[in-house]
Parts: sequence; structure tokens; C-alpha cells
Amino acid sequence: MELLNETAFQEREKRLTDAIALRKPDRVPVAPLAVHYYPTLAAGISNKDAMLLYAQRYESMKKVTLDLNLDVALSPFGTIPPAKFLDILGLSHFKWPGGVLREDQPFQYTGGATLKGTEYTQFLSDPSGFTLRNIWPQISSTLAPLAAVPLPPIHWLSTSYDLAFGLSSAVAEPPVLDLLKRLVALGEEFGRFGAATFGYLTEMRGLGYPLPYGGMMITAFDWVGDFLRGMRGVLTDMFRAPERLLETIEMLIPATIQKGVLAARATGCSRVFLPLHWGCAAFMSNDQFARFYWPSLKALLLGLIDEGLTPIPLFEGDYTPRLEFLKELPKGKVAGHFEAVDRRKAKEILGDTMCFWGNVSASLLATGSPSEVKDDVKQLIEIFGDTGGLIIDGSVGLPDETKPENLAAMVEAVMEYGVY
Amino acid sequence: MKDLVNAVAEMLEEDARTLTQKYLDEGAAPIKIIDAYKDALGIVGKRFEEGVYFVPELIMAGEMMKEASEMMKPLMAEDKSSNGDKLGKFLLGTVEGDIHDIGKDMVAMLMELNGFEVRDLGVDVPVQRFCDAVNDFQPDIVGLSGLLTLSYESMKQVVDSLRENGVRDKVKVIIGGGQVDEHACKYAGADAWVTDAVTGVNICKRWIE
Repeated sequence: MELLNETAFQEREKRLTDAIALRKPDRVPVAPLAVHYYPTLAAGISNKDAMLLYAQRYESMKKVTLDLNLDVALSPFGTIPPAKFLDILGLSHFKWPGGVLREDQPFQYTGGATLKGTEYTQFLSDPSGFTLRNIWPQISSTLAPLAAVPLPPIHWLSTSYDLAFGLSSAVAEPPVLDLLKRLVALGEEFGRFGAATFGYLTEMRGLGYPLPYGGMMITAFDWVGDFLRGMRGVLTDMFRAPERLLETIEMLIPATIQKGVLAARATGCSRVFLPLHWGCAAFMSNDQFARFYWPSLKALLLGLIDEGLTPIPLFEGDYTPRLEFLKELPKGKVAGHFEAVDRRKAKEILGDTMCFWGNVSASLLATGSPSEVKDDVKQLIEIFGDTGGLIIDGSVGLPDETKPENLAAMVEAVMEYGVY
Repeated sequence: MKDLVNAVAEMLEEDARTLTQKYLDEGAAPIKIIDAYKDALGIVGKRFEEGVYFVPELIMAGEMMKEASEMMKPLMAEDKSSNGDKLGKFLLGTVEGDIHDIGKDMVAMLMELNGFEVRDLGVDVPVQRFCDAVNDFQPDIVGLSGLLTLSYESMKQVVDSLRENGVRDKVKVIIGGGQVDEHACKYAGADAWVTDAVTGVNICKRWIE
């Protein structure tokens, strides 16, 4: 049995790597990328419990994977954060079921700027110190005391004497002692989460299912736009402080590459998932994309490829006007997951550059009929199937409201039309 | 005030600020200055439609306009808020279950700049509140916003409820958000769908004309 499963693992892995390398596999792979509450909802688990009960959630993900005989195990990474992490840290930009949201709502990130337009220089000159003293206290009620702790710059504590007295005096503050206790609880919770996750990964590997990706990373531009400056901040900085914005993006690029490398190393899966937020056609012009977005995206993609990894950018929004940029990437090294794009143009411009991953629309999976889903998959295979560079999925993975019969139809259509 | 119109249209924020102050100091009527900003916004909107300008320019133009209004507020007569010249009434909200507001807020800003009277119900708005507001506010158009895929069902429930209350044919319904498309529009029973705010504004303007 074990040998059989190992063979199945190698077969599925080869199916994915062949498609990504633009070689024809035995058939088109069907591989959901990002999945949130679909499996738990299908198992009758509330959204609140999905964020609390690790073992039950993984069991539901295993069930979906096995029932449909997918080509990947549904990935536990970068999707639903454990509620206890959010709660213990008191993260104010997250809202979740069981927190302020109702049990049936999904967690939502509401964001907000943490770096003022006037603080770029401070952030650039000491990003770690600024994060500790200014950003953490804004986004985490637990870490809020750090704003007032007389903690010197860390390198001041590089001598034994300073460490002995400097660190001791800093942690002696009552709010810091309290904070440290909360962090112990966070560490213990991570231990429970980590053990459940490791158990799931080991089991799915043993059953013969590779992961779609082993780590998740965002681009430097999205880091600034989603988390540091917020949408309004990042888009107006293009006019008000373009040089500072570019300098900050430049500074963050190596960290984005390293985060991807570390995540891939920790999970043993060389594919890295990159959800992309602000680069799509609706948010900026091609000129703005070329100046502000593309350089950090391209550097991240090439940096990961140099490390022997396979990036899977999820191009959220319409990327049709950006296809010519993507053509600059090395052939067969990137799997482009598209949400909304002119499929025929994507084939024409990128067909010999990257594998197309996607993109049955979320609305079709949630509100359409099985025959509509099958027709859509058939169209994808007709357009992209000739070279082998195609992996089937929903437009942004599986929406929580996917009708089970539509998901089944998506898989069935692949078996029916996708054998080479 | 061509120079002011030009400064705003070309995204020269500093120049626009300086020129606004200069005209105020020279004793220009605030309403003339506002008109200059409106002309500039017209140019910005046109360039957006032509695919020259995008969201960053719309936000910049909105912020310049807002700042100018603040500068002028003390000088403007109190009764400037009369609705006599409003294009139409627009009711807006993020549907139940969804708490995202970036797209909704941008639509609200652009609709106001384009002459609509806007009532914004906020986020996670229950069906009944939409219905109550339709009765009370009597909008020409109802805008349903949602980023999450759960919004398809919530949007459908609002439209169903408008129908049950016999007001569906009194309003146009437009849905907007990153995940909506023709399937979602058909499912919800809306009249139009958009994934960007300016297209939405243009559709609404066409409906009113």
C-alpha cells in the first residue's frame, strides 16, 4: 500500500511539474490553490470552529481531497489563520467569526495604514526598530506596551554588560511581564497548531498527495499597499512621494525572496504561492505598473527561480493589459494562476512562457450549473491543452460557497476532456 | 482659472493648493473656484474613460477637491446643500456578511463628485435595512457592494426582497466588487455589474439620462 501511494505521489507530482514546465503530462492536472472554508462547511463545521479545531478542519480537507481524488492535497498554508493567534495577539485589523463577527461569517482583513507618509525615512533607517515600537503597538493590543518600553536599539545590547542590565530592565516593566506571559500562550498554541499541521502534511504525503505550494509570499508593493501605507496611501504616494515609495519597495524585496525560500525549505515543497493585489488593470496604468509594481514582482519571481523554486503568482483582477510584461519571464519556470484575463490573448502571448492555472470563475462555481462548469473547463482545455501547460482550478481557488456538484463537475470534465 | 483647472487635471497637487489660495486671496468667488475644480474633474473622468488615468489619479483628484472644499467652507453660504441640482439619488451599501469598504467608499465619493445624492448604509447591511432605506430615501439606483463570494447570495436576497415589496421596478440595481461578473449578476437579478467604480458611475449616469 505504501509503495502504491508513493507511486501515486510521484505520478501526481510529475503531472504538476510537467504542466508547469510546459511538457505534456498524462492528463491535465486539477489542483485547487487557495481554499478557505469550503471543506469545513461541507463537513458541517461552522466558520468559527474552523478557526479553532485544527484536527477537524484537516480531516475535512483530507475528505475533499480524497473524495474527488484531486491532484494535490488542499494546502493548509496562508489561508485561514487560527483564531487563537489573532486573539492572543489582539490583532485589530483582522475580524473573525467568534471574535466580532458572527459564526457564519468568514474572517476578513480590514486593513489600515500603519506607516504615515511622513515616516518613510524613520522606517527606512531602522525598519526593525520602527516595526517594534510603532507598527506592532498599532496592530496588536497585546504588543501595545512596546510603544512605551525604554528598549534601546538592539545593537546597543551587543555587549554582555549591556545585555545583562539593558534587557533585564526592559522586561522588568509590569506591562512587559504581562506581554511575555501572553507570548508564552501564543507559543504553546502554535505548538498545538504545528503538530496538527505536521500530522496532516505527513498523512497526505503518505496517501500520495503533493501540496500545491509550500509557502506563501506577497510582493514588496503589496506589502506596502496592504499593510504599511494602505490603499489610499500607496496609490497617492505614487504622486506625493514616488522616490520614498520606490526606496521602501526596493528595501523590502530581499525579504520577500527570503521569506519564500524559508517557507519552501520548512515544508519541503518547492512551489511558492504569491497572491497579487494591486497590480491589476483596475488599479493602475501600464506605465505605473512598469515603474512601481513590475520591478518588485519580477525581482521576487526571478529571485525565487534562482533559488530553485517555482513561483505561482495569483494574478488577482484583470491582467490582460500586463501580459506583455509577463512574457519577459523565463520559459516554463512560473505557473501563472489567473483570476480574470482574456484567455485567448493569454494563450497567444504567454502560451510558450508559462503554464496557465485556473480559472473557472468563482461566480460560476457558486451559482452556476454543473453543465456550465463542464463547458468552461472544456473551453480551457481547448485553448491551453495543446502544449500541456494547463492546470485546472477555480478563478481564486475554491470559493466557500462552491456547490459540491459544481466542484465534482470541474473534476469530471478534466477526466473527460483532459487526457492527453 | 485655466491654470488651476490644469494643475488639478495634471495631478500637480502643490500648484493646485497654491493657486486656490491665490485666487481666494484675490477675492475670487468660492463658487468660481469650485467650478474650476469641477471642470478639472471632468477632464480627469474623461482621461479615465480613455484609459489614460486610473484609480490613483481618481483618488488624487478626490483628495484635491476635498482639500479645496475645506479651504472654502468658511466662505460658502450655509444653504449650499440644497438638492435642486442633484442628478439623482443613489443608495449604497456593502451587503450582509461582508465588511469590506474600500470599493464602496470609492463609489460613494465618485457618485457624489458626479452630482448624485448618496446615502451610504455602511457595511454588513442586512436585507431589511436596504428595503427600509429604499422606502424612506426613494433612490433611483441601488448599489450593492461586496468583495467576498458570499455576497452573491446576499445580493440576491436584497433584490428578491425589493421584488417582494413591490419596489423592484422603481429602482435600478447595480452590483459591484472584485468577484462579480455576468453569472453573479444573473443570479442576483441585478441590472448591471461592475468591477471598477468609474464604469459603475458611467452606467448610473446613463440610466438617469
